[in-house]
Amino acid sequence: MFPCDYMVMVANQGEAHKPSTGRYLDQEKVRKALDSATTYGASYAEVRLVSFTQSSVAMRDGILERAIPGQELGLTLRILADGAWGVHSTTDIASLPEQIESTTRLAKAVASRRADGEKPIGLAEVPIYEDEQHWKSKIDVRNTELDTKMDLMNDFYRGASQHEHVVSVTTGWSDEHIHTELMTSEGMDRTWSFQRSLIHGMVTARDGGEVVSYRTRSGGQGGLELIQGVDLTQLGEQAQNAAIRLLKAERAPSGKMPLIADHDLTGVYIHEALGHPCEADLVAAGDSCLDGKLGEKIGNELVTVVDDPTLMGGYGAYPVDDEGVNTREKVLIKNGVLTEYLNHRETAHHFGLEPNGGARAQDGLHHPLVRMSNTMILGGSHVDLDELMEDVEYGIYACGTRGGQVDTGRGSFQFAAQEAWLIENGELTRPLKDVSVSGMTLEILKNVDGLTQNASLATPGFCGKGQTVPVGDGGPVMRIGEALVG
Amino acid sequence: MNMLPDGAQDRLLSNAKLIANTCTSFGVQQWDIVGFQSYGHELDIEAGKITMAGGGGEGGFGIRVLEDGKFGFAHLVDVSGASRAVEQAMGIARKSPSIENFVLPSEQDAQSVGGMCDDNILNLGPDDLLEQADAVLSAVKSADKRAIVTGGGVGISATASCLLNSEGILETGLSTSHGIGVQVTVDNDGKMTSSYQGDSSRTRMVDVPDCIERAVDWAVKTQNPIEVESGAMDSPVLMTSEGFSPLFSMVVPPAMMGEKLVRKESFWTGKMNENVMAEDLSIHDNGLLKGGFSSGSRDGEGVPKRNQSLVESGRLVNMLWSTRDAAQQVAEGRIDAAHSTGSAVSRGHQSPPSTGASEIMMTSSKGSRSFEQLLEQLGDGYVINGVMGAHTANPTSGDFSVTTSSILRVVGGQIIGPLKQAGLSGNIAKALAGNVVLGNDVRRQGSYSSGSMHLPDVLLMEGLRVNPA
Repeated sequence: MFPCDYMVMVANQGEAHKPSTGRYLDQEKVRKALDSATTYGASYAEVRLVSFTQSSVAMRDGILERAIPGQELGLTLRILADGAWGVHSTTDIASLPEQIESTTRLAKAVASRRADGEKPIGLAEVPIYEDEQHWKSKIDVRNTELDTKMDLMNDFYRGASQHEHVVSVTTGWSDEHIHTELMTSEGMDRTWSFQRSLIHGMVTARDGGEVVSYRTRSGGQGGLELIQGVDLTQLGEQAQNAAIRLLKAERAPSGKMPLIADHDLTGVYIHEALGHPCEADLVAAGDSCLDGKLGEKIGNELVTVVDDPTLMGGYGAYPVDDEGVNTREKVLIKNGVLTEYLNHRETAHHFGLEPNGGARAQDGLHHPLVRMSNTMILGGSHVDLDELMEDVEYGIYACGTRGGQVDTGRGSFQFAAQEAWLIENGELTRPLKDVSVSGMTLEILKNVDGLTQNASLATPGFCGKGQTVPVGDGGPVMRIGEALVG
Repeated sequence: MNMLPDGAQDRLLSNAKLIANTCTSFGVQQWDIVGFQSYGHELDIEAGKITMAGGGGEGGFGIRVLEDGKFGFAHLVDVSGASRAVEQAMGIARKSPSIENFVLPSEQDAQSVGGMCDDNILNLGPDDLLEQADAVLSAVKSADKRAIVTGGGVGISATASCLLNSEGILETGLSTSHGIGVQVTVDNDGKMTSSYQGDSSRTRMVDVPDCIERAVDWAVKTQNPIEVESGAMDSPVLMTSEGFSPLFSMVVPPAMMGEKLVRKESFWTGKMNENVMAEDLSIHDNGLLKGGFSSGSRDGEGVPKRNQSLVESGRLVNMLWSTRDAAQQVAEGRIDAAHSTGSAVSRGHQSPPSTGASEIMMTSSKGSRSFEQLLEQLGDGYVINGVMGAHTANPTSGDFSVTTSSILRVVGGQIIGPLKQAGLSGNIAKALAGNVVLGNDVRRQGSYSSGSMHLPDVLLMEGLRVNPA
């Protein structure tokens, strides 16, 4: 034990990135602590520990800027008492037992303020498991030497840099091994682990006073094999070509017009416009435009949307959710009809639904919220982009994402494209830049009027909702009959 | 009961010294170590009620080593891993390029900055927060019975920090914060409008802050949207401090960073000592601001902070530098001379310091106007209180294209009603170079990029295009 009250008590952390026993938590001590919570009046108690072994690297113009290895360990104690939550998060595992009583008291203090008629928080029942689930990467990313990472990043640099207008190429690397242990007063005792690997690059080009940049990413859930499987030189060339195109691009026209989105932008669209309003914690809080609309037709019957953490390789994949619930595909919209919310145990109980594995926390120091994983629109019947464009007299084809945002209560959203083209009489004509699209969820889902057959996950992304988690988004190439552009 | 455990600061420092000793035993030429340890309490509010009470503590250490101008970094939580972390950092340094004349700063006198720690916060407990959350919920209900707090909460924290390096710098600090934020939603027969507003302070906020009333006000006054002629058009826009700061912070502070300027990645590249904004406008970065969230006596590398002009009467006069960036850009020949401006920002123990702003303030020599006077000067146009997608703005060019559902139509200086949704696009640099009028109610806002933004409501008469849905 370390001589201070705020440092972690772990076996061997300083010497290796794995716990020597396979577990960080002392199961017997934690079981006793959870039992004591029950004696203090808790109806449920859980301890979730997460260890992140991570590494990031940044290079600029082929030269190492920084490399950051590290290991972070955090633990969250969550107690439900009298229908309210008390939570304690810490990097000091050793202090856990002494936090049980005060955290239970905290939960009771919140509960005591509940007004008459207000529903106490409850948890939907779930199967109790005592097991381990480890998604092994083909090549454990923790064993990757810095030189190997730099070589791969330089492949991107070589592809991206060979042009007179390119003024800088930055490349980034991020990998993490996530190890989670969950123990609950219900007897749940699960350990799971998996890895994520990501490479990203940005090409900045300048021509006179015109400066543009183009970003790209590749990676997902898995180890080094994900990055080695990408032709990074080609990825760099593609980013360079896009940046050079943007130098010549015009500002996009503004107004309502048909929009065709590539599979990358389609993913961001469905994440923002539909995914967030489907998060049942927002629905329960009165902050979703989809409240009360389960079973209603809210989109064109072409539209079927799934959220699936079991899509191995997707950046939002995970083996078990952060409440220990098994994951599965959720069909959020089936042929235009809202069929399912994303739930954790609390919201599932609130709405009388089944938990569906949607609980995610940023790390061991945060409590789980309802989150997306890999969210996709499924493919439609159009053969390709050309067929989607055939009927478009004047519109926009937008590609790549610069991110998006949503106001779930109002049901309004925005997302921005990296580059775009004007469509005139069914043909791509001029390149455009600074295209942003906005709309209202309940209107624009009805305006989707064409989807190509092939749907796939696109570039990895990050989603912020107070906590940041990795996500995968994607879909087919999608046509929206009328969207607000600019 | 004090939120900070007894001896927490001493333990943080003694553990940092343990890591320092490890660096010394490994023969590291130069090193610096930052340590943070935070404790706090928070309450979540959802669906008009308090749903969760939480608390806890977290922290860790960042180690930067420097060998012949080559630097490496590693972070850790548990000091028993110091040897491994130092070895990792040294291994990285060996693979890093050498930056000529890059050395860690040595001890210099630094001005102390007050207002960082309030004992009244240290002595608060969860029960105090529960009472305050009740008061917030009551204030929202009394402002409008239809209004519900659908998200947000109340939180307090205390953070002990330390920075020490091989050149004799030793800085310790203790800071507190108190924050309140609410997402207020008004449901009028299924037509929902909402507004998020928040406030934070280094000192205890005893009363319910004004932001609560503003959140209700904006959720209510964006109800019942009016029809306006669709189609994009150039228009003057009065942006509230809350609406303007996300765009401003995404684009303007990065444009004043030395590295971006000399690498030609700023829209103000090549414009040093030239007019870049309207001649009455000035921007300064007050790193010594009392009670600031990003101010302090020293920056993330230990260099004394300062109050510095960046844009003076419309003219770009200074740029922001950290020690490392300055040495690197001089070594690579992009600038003849550059020195730290005390602008290294440490964003926690998990990353090395990088260049950033502290407390950005924009002022006008023409003085400021009340909101009513700004409306009158606006004439025909729009008031915007919040945008979606500010993070998609292009910091290299200043171009942006965002969306707002918090927008009011103004005709003849009178607000005639809200719009359901509109696009807003333009270029921040061009808009600030045009006719700009500042309001008189400066409010501190957080930032997407770095530091705090102290901005009033801003009337931008030129350079913006509004596209009503």
